[in-house]
Order: sequence, then structure tokens, then C-alpha cells
Amino acid sequence: MMKKHTWLKFGTLIVTMLLGLVVFSATNVHADKKEPHYVITTDTTYAPFEFQAQNGQYVGIDMDMLRAIAKREHFTYKLVPIAFNSGAQGVLSGQFDAIIAGMTITPERQQVYDFGTPYYKTGIIAAASPKSGITSLNQLRGKTVALKTGTGSAQYALSIQKKYGFKVTYFNDSNTMYNAVALGNAAVAFEDDPVMKYAIKNGIKLKIITKPANAGQYGFAVKKGQNQELLAKFNAGYAAIKKDGTYDKIVAKYLGAKESTFAGSAKENNSLIGLLKQNKDQFIGGIIKTLQLTVFGIIFATIFGVLIGVLAVVPNKFAYGLSSTIIYIFRGLPLLVLAFFIYIGLPSLTGTKIPAIAAGLITLTLNEGAYIAAFVAGGLKSVDVGQMEAARSLGLPYRKAMLKVIMPQGIKLMIPSFVNQFIITLKDTSILSAIGIIELTQTGTVIISRNSQGFRVWFLVAMMYLIMITLLTFLAKWADKKFGNN
Amino acid sequence: MATKVKVTDLHKSYGDNEVLKGINLEVQENEVVVMIGPSGSGKSTFLRTLNKLEEPTAGSIAIDGIDLTAKETNLNKVRENIGMVFQHFNLFPHLTVLENVTLAPVELGKLTKDEANELGRQLLAQVGLADKADAKPTQLSGGQKQRVAIARALAMKPSIMLFDEPTSALDPEMVGEVLKVMRDLAEDGMTMIVVTHEMGFAKQVADRVVFFADGYIREEGTPDAVFNNPQDPRAQDFLNKVLNV
Repeated sequence: MMKKHTWLKFGTLIVTMLLGLVVFSATNVHADKKEPHYVITTDTTYAPFEFQAQNGQYVGIDMDMLRAIAKREHFTYKLVPIAFNSGAQGVLSGQFDAIIAGMTITPERQQVYDFGTPYYKTGIIAAASPKSGITSLNQLRGKTVALKTGTGSAQYALSIQKKYGFKVTYFNDSNTMYNAVALGNAAVAFEDDPVMKYAIKNGIKLKIITKPANAGQYGFAVKKGQNQELLAKFNAGYAAIKKDGTYDKIVAKYLGAKESTFAGSAKENNSLIGLLKQNKDQFIGGIIKTLQLTVFGIIFATIFGVLIGVLAVVPNKFAYGLSSTIIYIFRGLPLLVLAFFIYIGLPSLTGTKIPAIAAGLITLTLNEGAYIAAFVAGGLKSVDVGQMEAARSLGLPYRKAMLKVIMPQGIKLMIPSFVNQFIITLKDTSILSAIGIIELTQTGTVIISRNSQGFRVWFLVAMMYLIMITLLTFLAKWADKKFGNN
Repeated sequence: MATKVKVTDLHKSYGDNEVLKGINLEVQENEVVVMIGPSGSGKSTFLRTLNKLEEPTAGSIAIDGIDLTAKETNLNKVRENIGMVFQHFNLFPHLTVLENVTLAPVELGKLTKDEANELGRQLLAQVGLADKADAKPTQLSGGQKQRVAIARALAMKPSIMLFDEPTSALDPEMVGEVLKVMRDLAEDGMTMIVVTHEMGFAKQVADRVVFFADGYIREEGTPDAVFNNPQDPRAQDFLNKVLNV
């Protein structure tokens, strides 16, 4: 009969190639060095423990400490800043070897993590906006409280929720949470004492209204029973830097620092141009990452989508079933869930680490590809059946008839859908900030965590997206004119 | 004369609806067979089984001795030898007239691009459309489109041509130009099977007329025999209606 098997083979080939890409890039992470190499995750925004400095490098008490310990104990590491909750889960799934992120040691966590020597005393406080007039937890009844997902502070807040009768809302990074409270969208935020103090000192308009509660300690953590060698090195290194005064110097450097040391001068922060200049390299880096994700995402998603779309129209029940299942699953899943599943879920199944950028590209390929497949299938089906009959009656095999007769007509119908999907892909790359890819949106988050200039930075980021989308639209219109209507 | 087409006890059903109920037909080389009959009688379906655009439910079809219903038969090869012209032309709208004609021979490696272009222009001249080579199908009238469709089918140098109501979608004043091209083909000795309502064409050009009704062949013979002295009552009734208007 017709050569439909060729399509199936081609499909298998593409899937194999995608998987190959994952495995290849995963194994590539291990640099060929004599010193042991680890992948360590941290939070994206948790000053003074971890935050991005103006030069783009991650600094803070945790970061400087880790750097000093690694040097002393002769190991190298790749740092992956990602939302705290995702990072903590990533350690459990084997995606990361360890986490250092101002993580409070709790009995619950000790059941699944092994912690190093406690290195910093902390307590949990609540902070409110001075304008709100809230000075005590007793005023919270019926009000909404801002919490950061997966943190000890959130757990503490939930333990007293009944007593004070408040509602809760969750955020993935500290800065967004602070701003929600400062803007009046939430009554108070629960946060670790040193972190809150540092943020207030650096310009966050909040006031601490409670004494530190639930005093605890921060610890460096690995998955229980795993990476014991790394844990031992951390403990040894920590003991050494504590003894020789390095540790105290690091703490003093951050807690004693003036606002402008890390946040940039007020003059620069108060103008768009100043912010742009000050963060030029980071913005460029973010834009490049976003464009890379968009361009490769579009290319892979188009290949994948056209293939799956064609499978939906070939006269083969198996191919049709496969295609509709793939479209159903990947169009039905929220992009964020898919990204988390691939980045954090899959490695715990397979034991293979997937670099964030590869996970991001696979996510875009599957999700955007499923949408493309749906309109490719629709477009091909809308070509008159007489076209296929005429082509086949001339002796053209199915594949040639598809390529030379059906697809050129179908694709012309699909061009507007393609343009639309490309724009959506560009916007969807912002969701991948959640798995720690420092693309443009994440760049914005990170810059704000340092300088607290929420409005101005988001304004700049929004303009950058608009410019990119405008350029993409022009490009698409030009391509349509050039290839679409001749 | 060699047998070009031999159909034996052919059945075709769509679910419970049997539209062909056992058709037997032989067509000889150079013969022109015209199939007539009321709408829904199965004549178009029958024509479309001859190059397997429709899958027969039972029975056998042999083209030049090759059994189309056999699994090992390369259908594409057989189709290269059978040209088909459709009621709605089915020209490829994204290609020029010349590209419509040259697509199949070039894609199937029968001719080089240059050879195909030469043949294409020659065939377009033969159907009277030499000046339309670079036009798009949308710029043509219905009659012109159908003549291009005939040229497109001829480009594969088939030895059999199937015509499925080639003039039914045309404005009346364009029917003649298409029939003329078909008549020329018949005079050149092409083996043709034509489903049509053009009784004049059937009378003048057909070697044999086949009358279909209710999924059966009810009457067959020379045009003279079928038109002037039909034996089957359904055929008498049909011809009475279409000839005496």
C-alpha cells in the first residue's frame, strides 16, 4: 500500500534525536577535571545570603562561604540559581547534588535531607507596611498574609494560622512577596529575620512587627544518604573558615554594607537610563537567552509540530492515534507543569540530570509543537480531497503527493497561525524562568532583588519584550510576503 | 487487439449500502467505452475503482494483465499508465499551468525538467492552450482548466484514460472545446473509458456504450444498438427521458 511507514520511521528518528540531545547535553555537564565537580543549587533572590551583584555574579553570605570552602577543600561546582522550592525538590530528585539557600534545619527536612554543620542563627519575623497600621499579629484576622513557597517561614505561618485567623497567598521569590505587602496586596509577610532586615536596610518599605520566633539554624543540605563526601568537605571547610576568621569577615561584609554597595547608587536607580546602563550586561544576557530559547524553540517545535500534524492525516489508524494522543497531552498540560516535570520530575525517574536550557527547549518543543501540530493537521485536512486524488492518480506516491501538492497549499493556509504561535513562543519563554533559566524575565527578577526598583525594571523588561515581538512580527510579515503568496 | 481492462464480478459497498453489485466488463486496446446512466447508478464509483481511488469490496480488476487487487501489485506503477480526468478538474492551484503538467513526470524521474517542459508545452499546444503555460489555474475558465487537466494526465504517457463526468461542471458554451480534445484523443487511438451525460458525444465517439442502473450493467452494445434499440426497460426509460427533451 502507501508508504506511510516512512513517516513513522521519520517520527521515531526525530524523537530519538531529541532524546539524544538530552543525554548528550546531560553528560556534557561533567567537566573533565581532576577535582570532584558538583552541581549546587541556590535561591535566586535571598539577600544577604544569595543575590546577583551588578556584574552578574552571584554573591552573598552563602555564596562567598561556598566559594571559600570549595577552594579550601578542592572541589569545583556549577551554581544553579532557581526558585527555592524547585531547588529543594531538585536535590531530592537528583537534579542537584546539594543546596545552600538560607535553608532552615527542621525535623521534617531532616527526614529527607542530611544537613551540614549549622552556620547561621535565624528566626522568623512578620513584616508589614508602615502605612497599613498593622503592628501586631492580632490585627490579621480575615486578612491575607504573603508567604514564600516551601520555606520554613511559610510553615511557621501555617502553624499559627488558626490562632490568628488569616488567609495565605504564595510567592516564589522574596522580592515579589515584599512588594505585595508594601503595595497593600497582603497584610504581612513572614520571612527569616536576617533576610528581612537586610531588605529593609536596602530600601524595602516594610517594618518588622514581631520578635524572632521559632529560632532555628541555616544548614547546607544534600539528599539523605547521598553525596556524603561533599557534606564532609563542607563541614571541614566550614570549621576551617570559622576558625581563621574568614566566616566572620564574610558576614560582616554583607551585614555591615551600605545599601549602594550592592544595590547601585540612588541616582542610577532613579532613572530608566541609569538602570539600563548599570544593568546593561545582564539585560543583554537575558535578551540573548530569551532569543536563543525562542529561535531554537520555534525551530524544534515547528519540526516536531509539522511531523505530528502530518501523522494526524496519513491514512493509518496507529499514526492518527499517536498524533492525537501527543496533541492531547502536550496541549493539555500547562507549560509550567511540563517544564517542572521535565526538569525536576524526569531526573528522579531516570537518574540523568537535564540542563535547564535543554529542559526548557524540550518543554517549548512539546508544548508549542502540540499547538502547531493541531493547526497543521487542520490545515492539511482543509485541502480539498480532490487534490490528493489527482496527485495519486498520476502515480505519485503518498509521500510525494503530500510534499509537493498538499503541504504547499496547507502551509499557506497555516502561515497566520504560525506567526501567532511564534509570538506566543517568545512570550512563553518567560515561564521558563521558573526552572532557573536566566532569560529576560528572570533577569528582571534578579535585578530587582538587588535594587528593589520593581516598577522601573519591569517597565524596562516589558519594553524589551515589546520590541522583540515587534521585530518578530515584522520578520514574519516579510517572510509571508516573500514565500506565502507566490 | 489486446485486452486493456478486465473486470470480474466487482462489488463495492459503503457499510450496508452496496453500490456495485457484480460488474463484469472488458475493454480492448484503442476502444472508447462510454458509460451512461442515472445519478447514483454506480458508474462513477466503478470508474474510480479502476485506478483504485475506491477500494473494491470483492471481485478483481486487471489492467494490462496486472491484478490491481493483488497485494504485491505496485499501485503507483499501474496508475502511471492510467490517466484520470475529474469532474472538478482538481488542478494544483499553487502551481502554474505548465508546472501542473510537468510535476508528475519530473517527480517520478520519467523526464528531466527540460524534457518535461518541452513535452508540457507540446501537450498544452495539443489542447489549444500554448499561451497559458505560465498562467495560474485560477486565471483560467472552466473549459481551459479541464483541457489543462487532460494535458496533465497525458504527460505521464498513459495507455488508458479515465474521464469522470469531464464536462458536468462546465458552462454549456465550454463543453464543446473539451469534447473536441477528447474526440481528437479517441481518433489518435487512445483507450478511453468515459462517464458522461453527453449523449451526442457517446453516439459519435463511442465504440461501445454501457448503461448502468442500480449498481448493475443493464445494457451494453454499439451506440446504435443502445440508443436506438435498447432491450432493458430501465435503459428504455432513461434514454426516453434524456433523448426526448
